[in-house]
Amino acid sequence: MVDRVLEIDRVSKRYAHVQALQELSFEVRAGELFGFVGPNGAGKTTTMRIVLGVLAADAGEVRWGGEPITFATRRRIGYMPEERGLYPSMGVTEQLVYLAELHGMRAGDARAASARWLERLGLGDRGGEQLQKLSQGNQQRVQLAAALLFSPDVLVLDEPFSGLDPVAVDVMSDVLREQADAGISVLFSSHQLELVEQLCDRVGIIRGGRMLAAGSVEELRSGSAPRYWVDAPMAVAGWAETVPGAAVVRVEGSRTLVELPATTGDQVLLQAALATGSVREFRRDTPTLSELFRSVITEEPAA
Amino acid sequence: MSAAPERAALSPRRAVYLIARREFATRIRGKVFIIGTIVAVALLALYAVLQLAVIDRINTTTTFKVGFSGPATALAPPLEAAAPSLGFKVHVSDIGTQTQGRSEVRSGSIDALVEGAPGAPLVVVKTGIDPTLQAALVSLAKQDVLSVDLSAAGLSPAAVESQVNAVSVSLDTLQPATAAQLQGPIIGFVMAFALYLFIGIYGSVIGQGVVAEKASRVVEILLSTVRPGQLLLGKVVGIGLVGLIQLGIIAVCGLLFTVPTGVLTLPGAAIGAVAIGVMWFVLGFVLYALMLAATASLVSRVEEVSSATVPVSMLLVVTWLLAYVVAIPAIDAVSGGAIPSGLATLSTVLSLIPPFTPVLMSIRMAAGEVPLWEGLLAIVLVLASIVGMTWLGARIYANSILRFGARIKLTDALRRSP
Repeated sequence: MVDRVLEIDRVSKRYAHVQALQELSFEVRAGELFGFVGPNGAGKTTTMRIVLGVLAADAGEVRWGGEPITFATRRRIGYMPEERGLYPSMGVTEQLVYLAELHGMRAGDARAASARWLERLGLGDRGGEQLQKLSQGNQQRVQLAAALLFSPDVLVLDEPFSGLDPVAVDVMSDVLREQADAGISVLFSSHQLELVEQLCDRVGIIRGGRMLAAGSVEELRSGSAPRYWVDAPMAVAGWAETVPGAAVVRVEGSRTLVELPATTGDQVLLQAALATGSVREFRRDTPTLSELFRSVITEEPAA
Repeated sequence: MSAAPERAALSPRRAVYLIARREFATRIRGKVFIIGTIVAVALLALYAVLQLAVIDRINTTTTFKVGFSGPATALAPPLEAAAPSLGFKVHVSDIGTQTQGRSEVRSGSIDALVEGAPGAPLVVVKTGIDPTLQAALVSLAKQDVLSVDLSAAGLSPAAVESQVNAVSVSLDTLQPATAAQLQGPIIGFVMAFALYLFIGIYGSVIGQGVVAEKASRVVEILLSTVRPGQLLLGKVVGIGLVGLIQLGIIAVCGLLFTVPTGVLTLPGAAIGAVAIGVMWFVLGFVLYALMLAATASLVSRVEEVSSATVPVSMLLVVTWLLAYVVAIPAIDAVSGGAIPSGLATLSTVLSLIPPFTPVLMSIRMAAGEVPLWEGLLAIVLVLASIVGMTWLGARIYANSILRFGARIKLTDALRRSP
């Protein structure tokens, strides 16, 4: 089988006064959940719009299965825009069928798929209602159904979790996981970093239109300097400064979080700690995605 | 890998069809269509009923109650005989005495009392006399005098009368302009008004629809699978068809109500005008819809649509004002009056300017004053401007439809690609 990879290759986009994207590159493999994180205005939505052909890139290329993406292949992408967009006064089933037909589905198949997805998303009995009669969260489920209905090969979802209650978040997570497991490439953006950490196979951190880091959370961790929690109750302030290259990140009571350069072995730090007296705790800190995100974002100068 | 479901490639034609079908299905259930049609048909029905009532009143002849007394009673039979040809009915009665007659006139139970000699009758009325009745009585009195004189001269009054009655006037109409013929331009004017109204109403439906899709951002999903030009065309076709159907229903009802009631005596001319009107509606609607959709796409909120489309709606209003300039020579041409040649030229030139053509030509064509070449030229010019507007409008639309927020300058929309 052809390698079904969505490749974003050195894509640049400039708005009137802002360089929105600067040679941005990353890829989403088949069966992979790729989480796209970055501060507001980083270029996530612009990237997704370019993938969907809703915006044209100034330079660079988007490829699917090795071929530059065309209008025809774009029809195989399920899209959930940042600003939700469906017809408010149109019936739920009616507009799902309409959108599926616009993606090349036959009316009969579209109707069956619409019923199946509404059932799956817990809206089985709401198909006849106008969209605007539904709650915000339920409208978002319909929006997801619109993206999934025509069995796309790629899903591009801009902030699919924003504004969802915890139950809906679970439903959305399950569906995304299930789609990825079925071999679909899923690209989504989110500010909920814990969720992204749990859910995603790989994560891309973007800022100022450039990809600062991309990889599995594990890979991102390995790229950052190791940190250690040391609980040495008898130590006086500044004890860690004897260790070459060590930097105190934070002090919480008797506990100190120390960052070491990769060149310095952790045993040197432990020796220094033991030199102050007893050591209750000595533990390698596993940064969360949020912490990685903050450190990556603050290390890099703004574009 | 997920099994790819059976998916037909979406041809441009099918994309346009699907979009048009949705617009059609939505609008035909919409308020503009349902309420608009009901109100218009009800107004037409009301108009027809009122017309009938007015015509009835005109046709209902007045009945005069005339009392006769004394020798003047001899005038009663000839008055009854003459009444139908003079357009009134008469109810004659014998009144015993003049006093009784006068009191009946006073009480209003008779309109007039005729007394005295048939050759010189005295007519007693309460306040005044209908001129027709007066003329009839005068003529009868004269005839009585004449009969007496004829008898005196040894002639038979009856023979003379039949000879006189045989005389008639032959008519040779050089310019057969009649009220009926004026119906051409009048129907055209009504049709043009309907056109103006419908292009305005359904044009604004297009504008609102364009911006509603932009405001709800559904356009972002649509444009990931169809091209802007297809979306624009689908909207114009779907909404235009709804407008055409409404116009058709109203026109047919108009004909059904007016032709049998005799308000219109030229059904042929009316049907011709409707056919011309339908053609110009289609052309005019497409032209204006493209302009309105393009200008509407510059804004992101439905409340801003009317201000964004002002230049186009002004053009339409100006067209309607010019309709009066064109209607005058059209009516004059039919009624045979002298048209100032300047006005005729002006109306020809104006009606060949594409944005004005649909409304103005439907008037002139209904009046039958447009030479074939001029009609064809007008159609070609409008078609050419539709082609131009399709290109220009689609460009503005495509460049603006995904730029949300503040109103976009027209020059930006023309220049820059998104």
